[in-house]
Amino acid sequence: MVLIVNTTSDHSITDELKNSLQDKGVDADIIETDSMRISHCIGCNFCWLKTPGECSIKDDYEIIIKKMIHADQMWVISDTALGFLDHKGKNIYDRILPIATMYLKFVGDQMRHVPRYKMNTEMGLIYTGEPEVEYLKKWNARMALNFESKSLGVFGRDELKEAVSCMCL
Amino acid sequence: MHVFIINGSPRIKSQSNTDKILEQFTKGMSENGTSFEQYEVSDRKQWDDMRKAFAENKNILIALPLYVECIPGLLIEFLETVEPKTDDSRIAFILQGGFAEGIQLRCGEEYLKILAGKLGCAYAGTLVKGNNFSIRFVEGAERDKITVPYGEMGREYAAKGDFSSEKCKKFTGPEVFPAPIRLLVGILFKTAAKTGLNKIAEGWGCTRPLDYKPYS
Repeated sequence: MVLIVNTTSDHSITDELKNSLQDKGVDADIIETDSMRISHCIGCNFCWLKTPGECSIKDDYEIIIKKMIHADQMWVISDTALGFLDHKGKNIYDRILPIATMYLKFVGDQMRHVPRYKMNTEMGLIYTGEPEVEYLKKWNARMALNFESKSLGVFGRDELKEAVSCMCL
Repeated sequence: MHVFIINGSPRIKSQSNTDKILEQFTKGMSENGTSFEQYEVSDRKQWDDMRKAFAENKNILIALPLYVECIPGLLIEFLETVEPKTDDSRIAFILQGGFAEGIQLRCGEEYLKILAGKLGCAYAGTLVKGNNFSIRFVEGAERDKITVPYGEMGREYAAKGDFSSEKCKKFTGPEVFPAPIRLLVGILFKTAAKTGLNKIAEGWGCTRPLDYKPYS
């Protein structure tokens, strides 16, 4: 299943994706977050040390994380600000921490958190606006690596066809 | 010199490792007459004052924890609301994180250079250091061992107005650990560190194993 989390208020992007994915016969689950309550991460570490795997903030993010761990791919659609994701987009990633445990290990020459689940959710990003694209690509790859995942790439609003070509199982 | 400081940690001040780092950093920084005002991004009631201070000050310092390879969402939310500067302001950063190797913070550091430009400020460097996860869990000499060295970096910043000195660069420590150290630390992760974490969790009232899977 391909999970698509749209943090923008522009539903035309997801409408286009829905049509293209239907044509391709790809099983997609689309979440529009503009009508959801999703807080920023407050860094309490409860998801690691008090209620393992569960966020202390009881809002709508739990819907996303429950689907994410079973998804083959997760795509976030985000507006951009200051050359990067805007806060709504970044909050989706900051709140992902419950999928990791507090335990650590080395992978190659770097420390990593031991994953909580055996999941292989690959990560793609679709942006609007004018971010620093090269940086965003590097960030997405690094973020995916740290969750023992793989980057599916970073695509602008006008590159939806290219993004869809990566959305197959 | 007068410095406008933002603690960019979303964690409340009393629990913020970044705040404890700033405590020592500002102690060193103010020894020779440098003054400062500090605000907390975690407290939205301060945001109006922070916007005003951002506009009025030319020496700006943001201290922040690395959140998923970049800056925390809450700090982005605040910075989205400030007017980029059009004067000759300078901005420096203290970037800290939990993982011990310098390489873990470089992706975040790279963004901070971009951010300085987006905020209309000259980039005055980033003080980069990891291995800070335990600050709030320890006290006294144990905490001092981690945070007091930031005092020396505060003195460097006060003297130069940036983090360009060799001392500041060396402060990061190793980019990656050599293989024998990794082997040793890897064993510690599976033994003593695990026990230590389980103890902290127990103290917090945790009743489940730390690798519990609520959504399986």
